[in-house]
Amino acid sequence: MALLEIENLSAFYGKAQALHDLTFNVEEGSIIAMVGANGAGKSTLLDSIMGLTQTKGDIRLDGTPITAAKPQDIVVKGVGYAPERFNLFPYMTVRDNLLVGAYTAREDIETNLDMIHKLFPRLEERENQETVSQSGGERQMVSLGRALMSSPRLLLVDEPTIGLAPKVCLEIADVLKRLRDEFSLTVLITEQNANFALSLAEQIMVLESGHLVASGTSDELSSDERLAAAYFGH
Amino acid sequence: MLQVLIQGLLLSGLYALIAVGFTLIFSVGRVLNLAYGAYLLIGGYTYFYFSQQLGLPKFAGVALAGIIGCALGILKFQLIVRPLKGNHVAIEISTLILAVFLQSVVIFVFGDSSKILLPIIPGVERVAGAAIPFSNLFAAIASWVILISLWLFVRSTHMGRAMQAVSMDAKGAAISGVDATKINMFTWALSGTLGAIAGVFFASYTQLYPGMWVAPLIIAVAVVIVGGIGSIIGTLIVAHIVGFLEILTSAYIAPELRGVFTMLLIIVILVWRPSGLFGREEL
Repeated sequence: MALLEIENLSAFYGKAQALHDLTFNVEEGSIIAMVGANGAGKSTLLDSIMGLTQTKGDIRLDGTPITAAKPQDIVVKGVGYAPERFNLFPYMTVRDNLLVGAYTAREDIETNLDMIHKLFPRLEERENQETVSQSGGERQMVSLGRALMSSPRLLLVDEPTIGLAPKVCLEIADVLKRLRDEFSLTVLITEQNANFALSLAEQIMVLESGHLVASGTSDELSSDERLAAAYFGH
Repeated sequence: MLQVLIQGLLLSGLYALIAVGFTLIFSVGRVLNLAYGAYLLIGGYTYFYFSQQLGLPKFAGVALAGIIGCALGILKFQLIVRPLKGNHVAIEISTLILAVFLQSVVIFVFGDSSKILLPIIPGVERVAGAAIPFSNLFAAIASWVILISLWLFVRSTHMGRAMQAVSMDAKGAAISGVDATKINMFTWALSGTLGAIAGVFFASYTQLYPGMWVAPLIIAVAVVIVGGIGSIIGTLIVAHIVGFLEILTSAYIAPELRGVFTMLLIIVILVWRPSGLFGREEL
């Protein structure tokens, strides 16, 4: 069953069109990856789902339209977002950053904090540290943790491995799998690192200049010579 | 010397209260509210009208000043800031015009002569030769109680954290489910309340007259520029620097030069350290 349905979605920055008639579904309980080069429209897609850009077309969450809804309403409906640049609150502690994430889910604070500390023990150790003084990997963890504090059903993660050490990338991949397997979350990630996406996602979509040009399992996409050469390095 | 110390502490607490409402708006809404002094003007006259002209209890007068200031803040946000969203120059010019308009309304209703506010708490205590009017002491203590409560509120409540979040990263706040418009409106309401209450204390410290909105605005701008835009702690520290600078100037140089060194300090800080002594984009 599709948790997220996207139909003929276009996105605009003023008069410039960044996404062109995208249509796809995200099945509940799956990890889906959207791969593409810089400027392909990956971040715009996630921003559009969150109501942060001007869009045309339909976005439905569990059958309910969320097109052009306000970001805070989309969060309440069950979408969490960890953006590429993290957008953390630099002079607030790790704990306070997480608590802001709980703004719409205050009754779940203890449960969610417990889950986040199990997923990222380092965040509990450094809960009183301001995020301005943290490493990229730690900020990524805070960003994911903050998104999880809103008790989402769908987690959007923009370029989770960008600028991170390989060891941290593996840690993040492990956490995303655990979120799907242990906590029944649905995850939509965007990635430039196609091999990371292949190792993680059941289904991969390829975005080029705002157009969805391919979609399939890792085996299906790897067998396409052009895509394999362009994105998967073989 | 003791008198200077006491006067400095009393004045600085009041200056901190005056400046903090201005800081809140700049941090959260990124707007220089040039009508901020008008909150103090309206607060002072509201207290005068209800407590001295109608004879209501003085604390009711202070509370009513806060309520009117709160309403003024909300109206300003809804009628000026929201429609002009993003156009900071237009907002700043509009707020300045609003302050002049409110000054005219005050002159129309109350006349242009200055008024003496009766002390909120009458009486004077002498400590080691230093005269401490109870009213000023009350204003300083009330300012500190309000400032500490505000600091705790910003640090420890969901709404306070949301205000910090909006001030640091609007997109981050939005994707956390924080409604920036509501937070902004709340901040304008809070700033109006704080400004109006500060106006009662300021008018009782100095006097009540239609042009009284200018001096507190300059104090607020000075504290925010020197302290660093957006920092409550910076605001508190610099309010004390400015307060003591004024008291020391009055006591040891000349009362007429009271505000001059504050102006010089602003210029020096702007040239030497434009981000202020404690400047970082947080509350």
